[in-house]
Amino acid sequence: MFNYYLRLALRSMRRTPILTALMVLALGLGIGAFMTTFTVYYLMSGDPIPHKSGVLFAVQLDNWDPNNPPTESAKDVQPQLTWQDGQNLLNADTPALRQVHMYASGAIVVPEGDEPPFDETIRATSHEFFAMFDVPFLYGRPWDQRADQDRASIAVIGRELNDKLFSGENSVGQRIQLDGNFFEVIGVIDDWQPTPRFYHVDAGGSFADTEQVFLPLTRAIDEPMGPRGNTNCWAPINEDLPVMEAFLQSECVWTQFWAELESPEQAAAYKDYLDNYARDQKAAGRFPRPLNTFLSDVNAWMEVNGVVGNDNRVQLRLSFLFLLVCVLNTVGLLMAKFLGKGGEVALRRAMGASRGAVFTQNLVEVGTIGVLGGLTGVGFAWLGLRAVETLYRGYQHLVNLDPLLLIVAVGLSVIAAITAGLYPVWRVSRLQPAGLLKTQ
Amino acid sequence: MNDLGPIFRTLLRNKLGALLIALQIALTLAVITNAAFIISQRASDVARPSGLDEPNTAIFITTMFDPNIDQRQLYRDDLAALRALPGVVAATSIQSIPISGSGWGDDFYTTPEMTSDESINFGMFMVDEQGLQTLDLELLQGRNLRPEEMVVRSLESLEFPRVALISKALADAAFPDGDALGKTVFDDPNGEKPIEIVGIYDHMQNAWPHSDNVDRTMLIPSIGMFGGEMMYLVRTEPGQRDAVMAAGEEYLEQNRGRIVDTVRSYEEQKRRTYGGDIAMIKLMTSVITALAAVTGLGIVGLAWFSVTQRRKQIGTRRALGATRFDIVRYFMVENWLITSIGLAIGVVGAVSLNWFLDTEYSTGRLPLWYLPAGMAALWLLGQLAVLLPARRAARIPPALATRSV
Repeated sequence: MFNYYLRLALRSMRRTPILTALMVLALGLGIGAFMTTFTVYYLMSGDPIPHKSGVLFAVQLDNWDPNNPPTESAKDVQPQLTWQDGQNLLNADTPALRQVHMYASGAIVVPEGDEPPFDETIRATSHEFFAMFDVPFLYGRPWDQRADQDRASIAVIGRELNDKLFSGENSVGQRIQLDGNFFEVIGVIDDWQPTPRFYHVDAGGSFADTEQVFLPLTRAIDEPMGPRGNTNCWAPINEDLPVMEAFLQSECVWTQFWAELESPEQAAAYKDYLDNYARDQKAAGRFPRPLNTFLSDVNAWMEVNGVVGNDNRVQLRLSFLFLLVCVLNTVGLLMAKFLGKGGEVALRRAMGASRGAVFTQNLVEVGTIGVLGGLTGVGFAWLGLRAVETLYRGYQHLVNLDPLLLIVAVGLSVIAAITAGLYPVWRVSRLQPAGLLKTQ
Repeated sequence: MNDLGPIFRTLLRNKLGALLIALQIALTLAVITNAAFIISQRASDVARPSGLDEPNTAIFITTMFDPNIDQRQLYRDDLAALRALPGVVAATSIQSIPISGSGWGDDFYTTPEMTSDESINFGMFMVDEQGLQTLDLELLQGRNLRPEEMVVRSLESLEFPRVALISKALADAAFPDGDALGKTVFDDPNGEKPIEIVGIYDHMQNAWPHSDNVDRTMLIPSIGMFGGEMMYLVRTEPGQRDAVMAAGEEYLEQNRGRIVDTVRSYEEQKRRTYGGDIAMIKLMTSVITALAAVTGLGIVGLAWFSVTQRRKQIGTRRALGATRFDIVRYFMVENWLITSIGLAIGVVGAVSLNWFLDTEYSTGRLPLWYLPAGMAALWLLGQLAVLLPARRAARIPPALATRSV
């Protein structure tokens, strides 16, 4: 029966090709536009590390200018820590399961042989980064606390860089040259791209590629490898010291700090620890503002940093309204079309088709339009995402059509079409056959 | 207009159909007015002048990685070579580019007693004596920077310069009486690090296009050596930019011990910085176009269909003496009625949508004139869309009335 209805539907659509094309196109455009903005929004607002996002906490302390306006929420406090505070917490015996202190840097990689040198971003970090953020290893292993203390010249590199420098072979034990220095590779990580890149969401960098080189934080500072990313200072730095030394002792914030806290009790104990640390600093003459320490888990941290931009939210809202217009448009066209089918319906009813049969038959036709609209929409969404990719820099991880979203798109379109068609279909199945057969 | 009554009564017979189009037009008005408003805001942001000679300026960025190279000497050699290229007007080393999204911000104090919440924020640019000319700035008062005033700012020494040039906007903010020239300001509180203002130039934007005081800037005579990155800005004769970019890149690539990160026109840099705004402009333009197309085609489709349905009635009207113009007018008036109802709802929709967007995402208040403009556009769209089916209706011969189906 379904096949017969499908054939009837296709025949009916062929009879009014322009009207059908208009409906499919309108639905497709609406679905395509909405799916484009929704895909970006969905990937932007996604949980980058679902199995651990509730136990990883970004740490904020308030060492800032006493003349600044009062703090109301975590958004009003600097998102980064000074070097000295990060090191103090890292080296203290805190209630946290793990802690990590890190910053973003970069260097020129000089390959052996004739390949030209190139620039790479670097993450300078303490050793628990890999365990804390569940970074998958392809070869080798992360370094340990000992290597941090020894300021060892070792590196963990990313799969992409390993492919480039060592043709994807196990490069553990090989060395790489960064600027003028050699580092021994002790591990290669597999593809790893949390989206958003939650562990360091500098302005504009929330969806950046993960770094391809990881070095012990202490070693990077020895070099010194300067920070790449926001550096904010409010107090003058000590001019009697060498510049780097003064910078490390300054009130400038440029490092990121995270703690892994397994239970609410542990989190509460850690928060107390932070408050006490802040009080100690106040006693020592620092932290002139009221006591403000904040712990935000991964998803709260994305919120604090406004990772999903207002532009994206505006686009999502407007594209939804656009979809609504397209659905209204389709309802109007379907109504017109189905009211015009009175004669045919009357004939079928007179020949003995029940109301239910007429209803089902027309529903199949509406559903077919929905499926076609959905498929067109998927095509438009693909084009839309390519457009977004060229329009926005750094959106490369946000423009992939998710298989789940594909099914949702087609489903949405069918639902939209059926909702749009329900009333006209119902109207047409209610028509009295006798009256229609007589006139016209 | 005596046929308004019959048209309206006919509409009432298909209330739902008319209401659907009206709602569609209402939503369309709400979305296009708000989208057009977003476009105009972004476009006016992008159109603000940076102060530079935008079409004739090029950016060169290189990173040195060989620690055995004397960076200070390399700066001198590079500048000499870039300035010697044919077509170059002026060149300077610089540590950040206006409207590039990344740069240096600082505060100064006009008196030693001033506290940090009163200090004046500005964008800082480290240039040499050709900075003023390279950035295409006009000196309103005072004098240019001098070569002997150059200081080095690096990880070894953070020398602070004694003199600076500031933009008129910064001068006005710090010294509202207009007597900024010759004044001394302090980079640190308590009268530390004094700087004398030796010149005031017309206008230049800082590195961050969306910052509050984008036109408060300062040029200091210094060279920055924090790591291996070295940046040059080159201004060229009109039409010579691309040739200078190619020649400059060729020169920089000859040097071993460094890589050339970026050779880019200033216009391209500005497009990149405003990428989000340009994307928003293009996306909103697509939304408006697609909405107009869907709504317009929807009206065409419906009217076309309704003409087909009413062939017999139209034929009868023609047989009873209605002119072709009467038939066309019928459909135009019908569309005008439906559109007007839609627009009435749409005005409320547009204002509500703007209120929502402004409260949630601070998009700003929609100027009221967008409403009549949007309404006029949609009236026109409706009338144009219905014209084609209406003309088809007018061609239906009166003889049709006498035929039976």
